Amino acid sequence: MRIEPIRAAGGRPAHIRHDDDLILAKGVSVVMAKQLVLQNIDLSIPKGSFVSLIGPSGCGKSTLLKVLAGLVNPTSGSVSIAGLSPVEAARKRMIGLVFQDANLLPWKNAVDNASMLLSIADKSLSRAELRSRGQEMLELVGLGDSAHKRPHELSGGMRQRVAIARALALDPAVLLMDEPFGALDAITRDSMGQSLLEIWQRTGKTIVLVTHSIDEAIHLSRHVHVLGIKPGRITESLDIGLPYPRDLSVTEDPEFVRLVVQLRTMLRASHQPGGAS
Amino acid sequence: MSDQPINLSESRFASNWGAATGSWLPAVILLLATIVVWEAVVRIFAISAFIIPAPSEIAQSLVAQWGTLMQATLVTAGEILFGFLVSVVVGVVIALVIVRFDWLGRALYPLVVLFQNVPKVALAPIFILWFGYGLAPKIGLILVIAFFPVTLSMLAGMQSVDRSLLSLMNSVGASQTQILFRIRVPHSLPSLMAGTKIAATLSVIGAIVGEFAGASDGLGYVIQFASTQLDTALVFAALLLVSVLGIAFYYAAEILERIVVPWAPKFSHA
Repeated sequence: MRIEPIRAAGGRPAHIRHDDDLILAKGVSVVMAKQLVLQNIDLSIPKGSFVSLIGPSGCGKSTLLKVLAGLVNPTSGSVSIAGLSPVEAARKRMIGLVFQDANLLPWKNAVDNASMLLSIADKSLSRAELRSRGQEMLELVGLGDSAHKRPHELSGGMRQRVAIARALALDPAVLLMDEPFGALDAITRDSMGQSLLEIWQRTGKTIVLVTHSIDEAIHLSRHVHVLGIKPGRITESLDIGLPYPRDLSVTEDPEFVRLVVQLRTMLRASHQPGGAS
Repeated sequence: MSDQPINLSESRFASNWGAATGSWLPAVILLLATIVVWEAVVRIFAISAFIIPAPSEIAQSLVAQWGTLMQATLVTAGEILFGFLVSVVVGVVIALVIVRFDWLGRALYPLVVLFQNVPKVALAPIFILWFGYGLAPKIGLILVIAFFPVTLSMLAGMQSVDRSLLSLMNSVGASQTQILFRIRVPHSLPSLMAGTKIAATLSVIGAIVGEFAGASDGLGYVIQFASTQLDTALVFAALLLVSVLGIAFYYAAEILERIVVPWAPKFSHA
């Protein structure tokens, strides 16, 4: 597969060779409340890539993301992020998290929310440094002029942009996103996806996105992994060969339409409880 | 919730202003009507003043005893204010201890709930026995009556922090103390302020009960003394002042709420 080079803000190629894996999961299984939630997950995520995890409800895709984030310990198997355990990687500010709910602090304005996690992760930063970092991140997500607004003055989409800015403020190597646009309307969702692509191309971050939208997965990602249910496991993986930069017109591309059909077929199969696959 | 950012402050003020004058007017008319009917009934049926005094007699008593009543009001107000502040401080400290020190919390919480079931008004004579007739037994009584809603509301606020926000904090290695003071405590403030409003109301009750049980001053003492003298008009005058105190403390707590948590969602009364 040929990969289009992506240029970072500084002009250097953000994308590094395909075999340079940033995240490596080997034989990860998770048992929760005597239920096998994830079974024997092998996953390698190349540095600088955009990967989506898609699957039916209850397939454990959110749990897998939490395992990668170090929030859930695998019952067996191992995860490494640039050679570190997920918890070590998180402590080194290598992991940025975005959830479906923006979870902003209502008593802080947008810029202070954007720098909130950074202020805990790096205690050496002054208030002014935190502010300027927060402002920089708000500009990156397109909210430069809303710095002094409180969350209740922002729309759902804008709040989620602040949540992305908060994760990016840590300057993480990888952005782990759990259905970040799941609560937004279709139009906002499309524009958020497009913004995320632009942010990805400007920063060269590795992005892992959990989604249940077929269109979103194909529009945004380079690789899609399909998870099946009972137990949660990776049933199929699909490379998205559509060239970057992509915009919404990509959804009219015959190749896009073909991929949608292919992914839908895979997803349908993933609804069958496990066994032979 | 629309996707449109809304300017809450302006629209709320405008609608409040209209709603306030609109909603207060019927209440004022009803109050005035009640006073007129009350006065008329007492005069027409020549009801004795020590059973039901007419509003005019209450007003006369209020004017005649103004000095004594003001002095008593000041004493009671001092008890309420002091007792309320102690209740809030103690209530907040108990909530913080329960949340921060897990094992201590598990030991303390059931006891606090158990204690809540003790009829605290019945503690008044014991407090008089222990602390005498001065300020201390009143403060003690207000404390045991009013700290509970403070503790409970703050606990509820601190424990309702979203799990994924806690996940975010944990992922960057935040300590429990950082999570407590940077997330849980500010998150609990709207709920805590609701609890302090209840505590403000209960503090008035605590002060009056404390004065009933044993005092030589204050509005509670005036009420008790005047009723033994069959000076019912003075009882009503003192009752009126107790009510005014109660309303004043409630609104003081509400003003405090607007200062402390300007970001909190406000609920319309209309």
